[in-house]
Amino acid sequence: MDPARRLGRAQIDVFAQLGVSTVLLGGIYALIAVGLTLIFGIMRVVNFAHGEFLMLGMYTAFWAYSLWSLDPYFVLFISIPLFFGLGVLTYVLVMRGVIHASHNVQIFTTVGLSIALQNVALVVWTGDFRTLRPWHASVVIRVFGTAFNLSQVVAFVIAVALTLALFAFMKWTHTGRVMRATAQDHDAATLMGIDTDRVYRLTFAIGIACVGAAGVLVSPLYAVYPTAGLQFVLLAYVVVVLGGLGDMVGAMLGSLIVAAVEVLGSYVFGVAWKEVFYFVLFIAVLVFRPAGLFGQRGAETLGV
Amino acid sequence: MHRSAVVVTTLAVVLGATVAHGQTLSGEYKIGVLEPLTGPLAGEGKRHLEGYEIVRDMINERGGVAGRKLVFAVADAPDPTAAASEANRLITREGVKIITGTFSSRLCGAASEAAARHTVIYWETSCVDPRFNKRGLTTVFRTEIDATGFGWYNVEFIAKHLAPRFNMKANALKIAFLSEDSSYGQGVTESARVRAKQEFGMQEVAAEYYSFTSINDFTPIITRLKQLNPDVVHHIGYTNDAPLFWRQAREQNFLFKALVHAGATGYGSPDFGRALGNDANGVFALLEPGPGFRLESLKPEGQKLEREFREAVQKRTGSYPLGGHQLAGSGLWLLKVVLDRAKSDDLAKFRDAVMSLDLPVGSMINGWGVKFDEHGQNSNARVQHYMLQWQNGQLVTVWPEEFTTNRAKWIPLGAWDARK
Repeated sequence: MDPARRLGRAQIDVFAQLGVSTVLLGGIYALIAVGLTLIFGIMRVVNFAHGEFLMLGMYTAFWAYSLWSLDPYFVLFISIPLFFGLGVLTYVLVMRGVIHASHNVQIFTTVGLSIALQNVALVVWTGDFRTLRPWHASVVIRVFGTAFNLSQVVAFVIAVALTLALFAFMKWTHTGRVMRATAQDHDAATLMGIDTDRVYRLTFAIGIACVGAAGVLVSPLYAVYPTAGLQFVLLAYVVVVLGGLGDMVGAMLGSLIVAAVEVLGSYVFGVAWKEVFYFVLFIAVLVFRPAGLFGQRGAETLGV
Repeated sequence: MHRSAVVVTTLAVVLGATVAHGQTLSGEYKIGVLEPLTGPLAGEGKRHLEGYEIVRDMINERGGVAGRKLVFAVADAPDPTAAASEANRLITREGVKIITGTFSSRLCGAASEAAARHTVIYWETSCVDPRFNKRGLTTVFRTEIDATGFGWYNVEFIAKHLAPRFNMKANALKIAFLSEDSSYGQGVTESARVRAKQEFGMQEVAAEYYSFTSINDFTPIITRLKQLNPDVVHHIGYTNDAPLFWRQAREQNFLFKALVHAGATGYGSPDFGRALGNDANGVFALLEPGPGFRLESLKPEGQKLEREFREAVQKRTGSYPLGGHQLAGSGLWLLKVVLDRAKSDDLAKFRDAVMSLDLPVGSMINGWGVKFDEHGQNSNARVQHYMLQWQNGQLVTVWPEEFTTNRAKWIPLGAWDARK
């Protein structure tokens, strides 16, 4: 083979790898962002403790694996009802009291919850960095010069499935319609006989169940430690703003865009630039398309 | 061992030793010990305190400091603000004239600044922030080398040990620098870059910094590094990112001849071995001496000290000394040597005693020597550091070879699945 053709092949492999990395990283971001966008979209509450629920999901998988050798994919089925319950509990104890308060109060409350949860984890489980290595975390798949990890593929597939399921739920079920109605006009919904408190409770619980599941799914890929949630949560806000509040499919596309900016930016300009790029994008979207890239103009003020 | 049994044994040893030495200690001498004992840095802070306590007991069994029994006033410094206020409290309430500490580079600056305002001596044993003794303070001393010293040793190892074993000249080596972007990572990396280029003419193919708090994917950088084809990857990582890089390098089949790290985080942390098991094989980390360290390689007085120190740590913790024990223990023993010589904590006399010390490598715990410069920094060449390598789940000492019974393996690193 002549050198020029080899070079061409090498370049194709590089871009194929970057493409695969983008899609798989985007899947992880979507998994984390989808619960956040739901809570954000329906309740209009910015949940700053979202990352800590992710961390709790990671610890759930870690302890289940190291104490009882339970595979994270099995733990997934336990974690969904577990985190749904945790979501209900958090809503009843914390969120219900501030749901009609000003945004500042809500921000203080969720930031407080976030710091409290981090420190509980620190006291109970220490600051050690823990890792779990189920068999699928070391399975490498190689296709056409690209390589990726089986756990990442599974996380991606479940992210897509979860996004579509939530999208369908919101669009075609009665409960979904009730939730959308509450988001669009809280007062009118109340007048129509909708129990908005129940809607919020359900929304918050579904959102937390999603992020708990996300924590379980990313646990084979990343170290588990008390502030692990901070690693992802800023990104999740960028994704949610990009995709439009409460827009499931938007969150999926937003995740892929953020991942593409991160992967290509890191490859071309260096990793140090990645946050510059996606926060410039974040600000640009807020300034020029405040409803998100895929949202309708004016949608951002709905229900506020 | 049962706790009461430990207490009894310790007491017996203490009494036995006192009787054996036939010394009586006249009065007490109190110093301040400042470490993070709560909060995120607490794990390492507590290990340091344990190291201090072990060596304090060794000191008191051997005549104390200048004939007096050494005692501690311990304070907790979880963050820089607490470090400064607790340093103040130790000085004003406890009346100490010397403070020692502090594991973290985040803390030593603030604490020593507070001590300096009272002209109290700050005896640092662990923090590696290069700025620590570049502030014109005459009250600060550091027994450990700083982060730039780590870079110095890493390049020494790459040029003088790895290059010949690759059958390459140092100036033919292609080296890629990758680092987390805290003052620690930058301190090590920048000093290594300068020395690699200026002294050995190595070819730098990349220098990349990233934030360990937000790095989620190394594949773009690995894809780029693969094209640059470095012989050596010099990676200063933290504890969440080092396993991620290593795992993804394996997935991407990124082949290089060696990876070199420095310090007790990242590749130097036991968490790295736990995360990767035998997949960790071959990684180098610059640290204090670990398993394989040869006592016979030290000077006679250093051998005795090191043996007794290891036994004391073994007795208290049931394991080989860890980095925290070694840094704190070695630093505190050196403080005793200085106080015995100065016979005073008066700053001028203390400083004279520090500056007059001139001990070769192999004289102290960890095989360290002593020679301070006018900034209060012990010298790179005397504070001997060691290269450790992950070998089948254990981090063992492999370099300099005269100090160890183990030999570095997998040079150059072969295929990923052939490192057994």
